[in-house]
Amino acid sequence: MLLSELTGDARRLALVGLAKNTGKTVTLTALLAELRARGTVVGVTSVGRDGEQHDVIDFRIDKPRVDLPAGSLVATTDALLGASGIEHEVLERTGLGTPLGEVLLARLLAGGEIEIAGPSAAADARAVADAMLDHGAGQVLIDGAIDRRAASSPRIADALLMCTGAILSEDIEEVVARTADAVALARLPALSASSPVARRAAELASAGHASAVLDEEGRELERLPARYALTAAASDVAALLARHASARTLLIAGAMPESFVAGVAAAARRSGREIAVAIADPTHAFLQERGPEHYRAQGAAIVALAPIDLRALTVNPVAPQSHSFDSARLRELLATAIGGVPIFDVRHAGYRGSQPPGERPTMPTAR
Amino acid sequence: MPHREVDLGRVRPYADHLGDGLVQMSFTLPVPHSLAARRAALELAAQMGFEEPEVVHYEQVTPGYTYFVMYGRCAVTVDFASLQEEGFDIEYLNEDEIERFAAERVGRPIVVVGASTGSDTHSVGIDAMLNLKGYHGHHGLEGYRAFQTHNLGSQVPNAVLLAKAIEVDADVILVSQTVTQQNLHVQNLTELVEMVEAEGRRRQTILACGGPRVTNELAKELGYDAGFSKGTYPHHLASFIVRELAARAAVPR
Repeated sequence: MLLSELTGDARRLALVGLAKNTGKTVTLTALLAELRARGTVVGVTSVGRDGEQHDVIDFRIDKPRVDLPAGSLVATTDALLGASGIEHEVLERTGLGTPLGEVLLARLLAGGEIEIAGPSAAADARAVADAMLDHGAGQVLIDGAIDRRAASSPRIADALLMCTGAILSEDIEEVVARTADAVALARLPALSASSPVARRAAELASAGHASAVLDEEGRELERLPARYALTAAASDVAALLARHASARTLLIAGAMPESFVAGVAAAARRSGREIAVAIADPTHAFLQERGPEHYRAQGAAIVALAPIDLRALTVNPVAPQSHSFDSARLRELLATAIGGVPIFDVRHAGYRGSQPPGERPTMPTAR
Repeated sequence: MPHREVDLGRVRPYADHLGDGLVQMSFTLPVPHSLAARRAALELAAQMGFEEPEVVHYEQVTPGYTYFVMYGRCAVTVDFASLQEEGFDIEYLNEDEIERFAAERVGRPIVVVGASTGSDTHSVGIDAMLNLKGYHGHHGLEGYRAFQTHNLGSQVPNAVLLAKAIEVDADVILVSQTVTQQNLHVQNLTELVEMVEAEGRRRQTILACGGPRVTNELAKELGYDAGFSKGTYPHHLASFIVRELAARAAVPR
């Protein structure tokens, strides 16, 4: 199976990395090569920056260039379009500013290497993706940046490619554990749209108040203030749950920080209850310490009103300027820990897609 | 004014005459003050690519450490002309111009919330930008009529900063953070961006970050609207904010 085959029906495909140097751009270039071979007219935008020569933090790290064929659509800044030297037709000026200039939509009239820096805000990334589809793109790739996930929200993209790699830790088990947590977060169980909680959530969201305590049947027991999950201490959450013995779901609008779900889990465990924390989609949960499984086991299950469609995981077994792992072993350990998600190393000889140009920098390491 | 004969496509440092490439540098080596130390400095400069390296001064800073002042000739050039074409420079307004621009184009107090986030204990950057005292004789945004500022200090969790921003309906969130080569603070900076997204406030909020290693390129990758580094004065930040607010008002959403 090829990445392009697994993702071909997603009109807007988000690429998200778990950190810098997890191989997002390498995955993007591999996918672009496959789409070129299939003759798909592609549109490309990035919430960060792609195709730059050197890493923005560590100048010693060379980055893969983004090479697009004639006819491709891009959302990038006026300055970067000019710097590419590629003949192009400007389709729209977006008026959206970035630190690197104003974002333009353009059709390339010749092929070549170009730096892509589209709008930073996820909603704007969606708007330019839709505009590129309207201008004839068969598929739009929305590349992420560093570890930013917002573009993978189902409000923005139809499907997700996730990228992980050796950079996460020098310990391969730790790389696997952190990746498994990230996958579990992206694949949070979704509430069925017809469930009472989901129906009540939709009503509350349309009324502009989406945080509340609900019972089994989705009845509202208490309305919560807008910033509740950002500010509530564990003791506040415990008191809230103590007030409502029939509470089953905390419906949270906006961002849910880890401290909040940790507070819910502590209260649930002490009282022997099971509480669901319902959020809009997985990009609204901010877990840095533990994965969702940890909190679920303690009685606080995070659920999403809208799921993310994770199609595949790519791995970069090399941490630039540091260490590397055996690619096959890393993929095997990941497959055992995760399951249900195809895993690729697009630079490995075993991957039968078009190989992107250039060798992976190899490091003298014990494998 | 640059001399007419400067080739902006091939610029190199100069000291006595154009194009001589002379660089003065200073550094400390962890070796005892000695002739061998002097030789080590010369060899190091040669390895750095300097031609005709010369030690003009060296002294012991503390036993086992030697401080050097050196000259060397830089053999390489940089293409200033094409960097200039990329147009990353913005023209800064002075304080009166900022007040006038804000009154005419924004017409209401601009609310700015700032903090050093996460485990970062440095608050000098955020204080210099926001507090009345400012620095180097340029007072911070607090001293402008156009701005209403909230400085939350250092080691502020992202959730707390965001909650405050929502409470006061902030136009601007300003974060100060020391970015290290090891990426230590990068996750904390991206998490704030993602939380603002999750709160549905990304389009209405100007996100700016500052710190010793922050560049516009890094700011773009992190998801911020601007990045400020060393050499930034409060009126630079203020110029950016008032212009960006006016520009956003002009874009239909």
